[in-house]
Amino acid sequence: MKTFEEKWTAWVDGRLSETERTEFEATLADRAAAEAEKLEVQKLGALLREELQPLPMGNEEFFHHQLRTRIAAEARSPVAEGRPGLRESWWTIRRLVWTGLTSLAIFALCTFFVLREEPASDQSQYLTQILNAKVDPSISPYATVSIFQTKQDRVTVLWVDGLKSLPADYAAK
Amino acid sequence: MNRDRSRPKVDAEATAAEADVPEPELVKRAQAGDTGAFDELVSRARARVYGMIYNMVHNEQDAWDLAQESFLKAWKSIGRFRGQASFHTWIYRIVMNVTIDWLRKRQIKGGGAEFDDTIQVKEIDPASRTVPHSAALPHERMEHEEIRRRIEAAIAQLTPEHRAVILMKEIEDMQYHEIAESLGCSIGTVMSRLFYARKKLQHLLRDVYENV
Repeated sequence: MKTFEEKWTAWVDGRLSETERTEFEATLADRAAAEAEKLEVQKLGALLREELQPLPMGNEEFFHHQLRTRIAAEARSPVAEGRPGLRESWWTIRRLVWTGLTSLAIFALCTFFVLREEPASDQSQYLTQILNAKVDPSISPYATVSIFQTKQDRVTVLWVDGLKSLPADYAAK
Repeated sequence: MNRDRSRPKVDAEATAAEADVPEPELVKRAQAGDTGAFDELVSRARARVYGMIYNMVHNEQDAWDLAQESFLKAWKSIGRFRGQASFHTWIYRIVMNVTIDWLRKRQIKGGGAEFDDTIQVKEIDPASRTVPHSAALPHERMEHEEIRRRIEAAIAQLTPEHRAVILMKEIEDMQYHEIAESLGCSIGTVMSRLFYARKKLQHLLRDVYENV
């Protein structure tokens, strides 16, 4: 679907087909004003064409000489060895795209296999209960207590961390 | 013809015989490192390229330098030219990239002053040795010179993209699709830019084209 600007430009430049032109002209609220503006655009174009003819370039030979000198300097520079077309980087757009897609595929594959691996059992054979209880804060404010318990073996390990000293009357709260 | 790949031969002059060589043949030879062939391609495109750039930047020295830069870039990348578009369209794409990029940088440096009516349309450094100074205009062309100055000042108020589109359409008489290829945008974008560029120029130059 063309915008109004596109249709208008095509209309002014006479690039609409007969059907398109009729349809577009039917949408114009003020046909006379539009025709007047079309004429203005044509006058503007004529003015630009008449007044903006390119200035002749002076010293054409010097222009070529300067360009040849720069090209020769390019050819002599170590980074510009070889034909002009061979100076481009190995990383072409196509190679970049393929590298990106390959990396994405490898990543997806690895993610799939990693996520597919289920844990050996739903529950560890060691039931770990972290009480997060603090020992009396006046003695050791950052000490924590954890309990590791194996039900089958009926073994319980009490792990106290961050305790500076264990008072005789210690009791976890 | 020198086919040495490690160091392309820099020909002193394009021979007269090359003037008759078809463009695709010259392109092929230039891609093989023949600077003589490239020189001939430059000769064929030079005037239009320079004129186009001059109408974009309104300064002879800058137009000269940008034309040099464009042709040098064309030489560096001619190996990538596949011949899908004409050489002319391809070189225009490079010219437009170089010129629009330059105008944008200049706009940033100048804090946006580029696109207002304070632009100096003639800024030739008298000390420059690279600028081909044009001869003084005859007295009878003073009026045209004034009109041209008005037009250049109006065009200077357009964005680089709008300048490019209006100049390629009105001065170069290029088709929408050729402009689109040169600017790397869609035909719809070209038509839309043309619409707004014309509107602005109509507003700025109405008294000029109504009285000429």
